[in-house]
Amino acid sequence: MSKLGFAVSIAFTYFTIIYLTGLGGLFSERSGIVNIGLEGLMIIGTVTGSFGAYYFGAKLGWGVPAGPIMGLLLGLACGAAFASIHALATVTFKIDHIVSGVVINLVAVGLARFLSTVFFGQATQSDPGQPHLHVISIPLLSSIPAFGTAFQGLSPFVLFPFLIAFPVWWVLNRTRWGLRLRSAGENPEATRSLGVAVAPLRWEGVLISGAFAGLSGAFLSVEIVNNWREGQTLGLGFIALAALILSNWNPIRLMGAAFLFGFAQAIPLALRDWPIIRSIPEQFVNMTPYVVTIVVLAGFIGRVRPPAAAGKAYEGTTT
Amino acid sequence: MAITATAPPAAGSGVKTRPEWLESAIGQGLALLLALVIALGLGSIIILLYGENPLDVYGSILRASTTDKDGPAWVLSSATPLIFSALAVSVCFKGGLFNIGVEGQYLVAMATAAWAALHLGGILPGPLLMWGVLLFGVLGGMAYAAIPGALKVKTGAHEVVTTIMMNGIAISLVAWALNHPLRYTNAPAGQNVDLRTNIFPANAKVPDLGHLFGYGPAPRLSWLFPLAVLAAAIVWFVVKRMRLGYEARAVGASAGSAQAGGIGIGSVQMKLFLVSGALAGLVGMQQILVNNASTNTGGYLPQNYEATLGFTGIAVAFLGQNNPIGIVFAAIFWASLSRGESILPLETNMPREFVIILQGILIMSVVITYTLARRRLERRQTGRVLAEEEIVVTQTTPAEVEGTTT
Repeated sequence: MSKLGFAVSIAFTYFTIIYLTGLGGLFSERSGIVNIGLEGLMIIGTVTGSFGAYYFGAKLGWGVPAGPIMGLLLGLACGAAFASIHALATVTFKIDHIVSGVVINLVAVGLARFLSTVFFGQATQSDPGQPHLHVISIPLLSSIPAFGTAFQGLSPFVLFPFLIAFPVWWVLNRTRWGLRLRSAGENPEATRSLGVAVAPLRWEGVLISGAFAGLSGAFLSVEIVNNWREGQTLGLGFIALAALILSNWNPIRLMGAAFLFGFAQAIPLALRDWPIIRSIPEQFVNMTPYVVTIVVLAGFIGRVRPPAAAGKAYEGTTT
Repeated sequence: MAITATAPPAAGSGVKTRPEWLESAIGQGLALLLALVIALGLGSIIILLYGENPLDVYGSILRASTTDKDGPAWVLSSATPLIFSALAVSVCFKGGLFNIGVEGQYLVAMATAAWAALHLGGILPGPLLMWGVLLFGVLGGMAYAAIPGALKVKTGAHEVVTTIMMNGIAISLVAWALNHPLRYTNAPAGQNVDLRTNIFPANAKVPDLGHLFGYGPAPRLSWLFPLAVLAAAIVWFVVKRMRLGYEARAVGASAGSAQAGGIGIGSVQMKLFLVSGALAGLVGMQQILVNNASTNTGGYLPQNYEATLGFTGIAVAFLGQNNPIGIVFAAIFWASLSRGESILPLETNMPREFVIILQGILIMSVVITYTLARRRLERRQTGRVLAEEEIVVTQTTPAEVEGTTT
């Protein structure tokens, strides 16, 4: 049972990453811009977030919690800044969304290496053991016998998704701005005909997606790994996209989808010596997250409905 | 648009000045030039921030790939896998598909080719072994590309996400193969060697080409380079002149219209994935059959193989604007820049990663300027069509015009 508790605690960690990145994709796609560059935005978040935690926390001596919080905020800001390239390309220049997203991912890998040489003096990682927030144990839940390990020693940031899930739903479904954002993704012509400009809404959607993906990347490098390493995002940006599809672009259902994919991540890490899993070669166990993603994607794609205008440039007057 | 079909052939004269292909070529050339200026300009700013002279830095990169010893041979040998990789990406892209899985396809192909090199030596005599190994690489790439192809056609799962996941699976598959069926058995006694396959027979090696042009053996310029150029020519022919190419372009331009025109979208998409996988299968051959070979042995597949060639291929394909001939030049240009990576830290204060940033800015600007140039061209053509329509409209009687509006 304690093994399962350990697995659930890892699943929570990955849930946080996948959920936040998925929320980023949600804002972008709901506004009509497909964002396949989430992975690249996360990568920028990991390297800048790690630098923030190291620079403010260790070098300037702000310590904990100010250092790690600055790291998370820097990741958020740089993710949004990098996403502005995607917004410029897709909204302003009306480049194909997938082409732009693929380029975002390619450029992010090189940019992260370059930034790393500037920040840390080495290209592929920063020194380990950077400042991170003090871990917490969730009261009551962590005292469950055997299973309580799932709720011990967690970064306090794992609570963040639970704090924002409902507000995000409320903003999207109960505010004027949320309605307009969704209408830009469903029927931009109708949005325009009501005198609402489409382009600014889509810019906002893409910038918010960059902020969430950057924050998520910063959480990964600052709070989980405690340093930056090249390739540490492991395709989670794409898995977040799959979770978004499974959730039918709904911020509440996204929680369940993100937890499912998060748990798939935990199987090779925590459940390796379970009876059946033990008899499978470890390389095949390592494939679990990817196989689960493909199976879910192939099985659910026809039963969900993406925003009608997502992926299409809006050719009307953009002022 | 339907009106243009009935327009008299002479209607457009007077508006038209240059042939369409020339106008398109000029537009693309200017777009490329603009992108280069943007990239070199932004690059200069970074260089100045490092306190270096941009001309010196760009000069070092240029010298490394041209006048330095064996420079061109180094460039062409590292361009070889990039040509295959970019061709693989471009074939799918013609049909509106994004094969981000070239990465995984070539990893799996290296494993299937390694298996062939180790087991077919007794069956295929002499140089036939090399062709057998290349064929197994192609088949491995095709088999692995067939999976996302089938998923796309049967379930509609987006190929970008599935191929990325297949890349992750490929890494584990190759790791398993190197640990089990392909694991070396002939390590020298008492020595610790890194995880790898056994050394292939010498007949599996692709012969050297560089010595014919007076280059040393170090750059490893092999007959794979002309093979890559030949592959580009074949892809060009298939796309421009054969049925599959026509159908692919139709599906890529508008799947709906293609279907209405009687083209089976699923079958075209599947064929494109298979062709793409075949090309991807050759990406890793430079590495295992040339770079890892020596004078009398035939190479091997190591654990620390060179990865990410599939992703670089995407950038090269965009730079070459998905045109097979453009891709050959783009790959050579890309390899020239990469050649500068090793020179920069020696001759200047710039980190080698500067080249990656330069390539990143270039690819980003190229994608934007190409699209803007194409759109400008389309607008001019539409303008021409509208002008033709005007002529047609003036020729129609008022009654007919009224008839169409009611």
